[in-house]
Amino acid sequence: MTVQTSPSGLEAAFLDNRERLLRFLAARGAGEEAEDVLQEIWLKISERRTGPVASPLPYLFRTADLLLIDRYRARRQADRRDRAWSEVHSGSTPGVSDAPAADRQLASRQLALLVKKLLDDLEPPRVGEIFRRHRIDGLTQRQIAAEFGVSLSTVESDLRRAYKALADLREQLDEV
Amino acid sequence: MQHDDPIREQAALWAVRTGDPGFADWDAFTDWLERDPAHAEAYDRIAGAVADAADAERDVIVPANDEVPSARPVPRRWMSAAVAAVLLVVVGIGLWWGDHGVQTYETAPGETRLIALQDGSKIDLAADSRIALDPDKPRLATLEKGRALFTILHDDGDPFVLDVGADQVVDAGTVFEVQLGSNELAVGVSEGLVIFNPAGQNVRIEPGQLLESPLGSNDVTMRDIALEQVGEWREGRITFERASIAELAAELSSMSGVTFSAAPASVRDEVSGSVLIDPIRADPASLGPLLGVSVRQAGDGWLIEAR
Repeated sequence: MTVQTSPSGLEAAFLDNRERLLRFLAARGAGEEAEDVLQEIWLKISERRTGPVASPLPYLFRTADLLLIDRYRARRQADRRDRAWSEVHSGSTPGVSDAPAADRQLASRQLALLVKKLLDDLEPPRVGEIFRRHRIDGLTQRQIAAEFGVSLSTVESDLRRAYKALADLREQLDEV
Repeated sequence: MQHDDPIREQAALWAVRTGDPGFADWDAFTDWLERDPAHAEAYDRIAGAVADAADAERDVIVPANDEVPSARPVPRRWMSAAVAAVLLVVVGIGLWWGDHGVQTYETAPGETRLIALQDGSKIDLAADSRIALDPDKPRLATLEKGRALFTILHDDGDPFVLDVGADQVVDAGTVFEVQLGSNELAVGVSEGLVIFNPAGQNVRIEPGQLLESPLGSNDVTMRDIALEQVGEWREGRITFERASIAELAAELSSMSGVTFSAAPASVRDEVSGSVLIDPIRADPASLGPLLGVSVRQAGDGWLIEAR
């Protein structure tokens, strides 16, 4: 394994762009958590022994953005659990000791079936395929444009449709 | 649901843009966010919903007796797309193909695949790899080529057994990775415990350890590895430690689907470093400065040379 001896490009970029990242975090709605998040990013890049990254600054912004999305999701998940708990006491799952994980698995299974159906039903079928190629297989939008023989803006607008449909689904589920 | 909400429209577009690994215009995104606090809220709602959906689609496991609600799977040109979804269908309607019930899963260079087993265990198959599973023997798998990360639900009475060439790897409650290279077998463990060849060398591999054994030999060597390095390719990262340029080229070709080869004079030169695959795929020449090698286009592929 390679150990970086000098501060990596990433660490240097972090130190040079602390203020910019803070401004982003504030705009992104991190509020009082902004410093925490910054700390989390620092730990992530310094502990993980991240190797050289091609574009350090975008990488840092992306990391920050993903952390905030995760925090948002965790808050929503906790809300949903609280609500489910107060609404019903559905009995325990037999034979499973790790109940929270089992609940999560069940909920995510239901979600998966609905997501699969939604993606399969989007028209034209390309929209769902492009979404999967991007979000599941991890291809860049440019690669997808080449693969499907469409323009980058078509990929963008297909993804936007899929995103809105998935957000609608999430909102419907949360309203129930 | 407000379909014509312009903020929601803009938020969806930004979520699409920032979700691309190549997105760089974070300043413009910050400007948009600063214009109205409602922008960040709308963005979170969309990005959160999309991440929930992608995770559910990727990770979920459906037992064989579950009904899949959609009427019929739409035939897909891209088999690798939505592997989890394809698997839902395969398991859901109990349709297996292949000889004698054995199902072989194979990935092309640049493609990875998640295989969900019925008991909730899962196998992440790396690019350019092949594994055989027999539905009649759900606790047995054979890695025929390449590498895979195994996340196995342990059962003391029925341990999971992996055959790799002449060797056998038995889990004892575990997340572990196995790589079958051209000369060597490597087994790394990030959680639990794995036993290597219980009937032979009977070596215990613990979290943070990597066992290496040259093919066709009984020798094993153990060394420490960082836990996060086990299965790191799933996040599109790969680490080389004193790898020859020939190995580097082979591994990068598998992972990225872009053809790399080693310049004849540099085959044995060694490099160390850790790289993200996506940016390399987008710009193969960027490998040069990352690993201190020289990279140039040659025919359909890229030639790597020691510097």
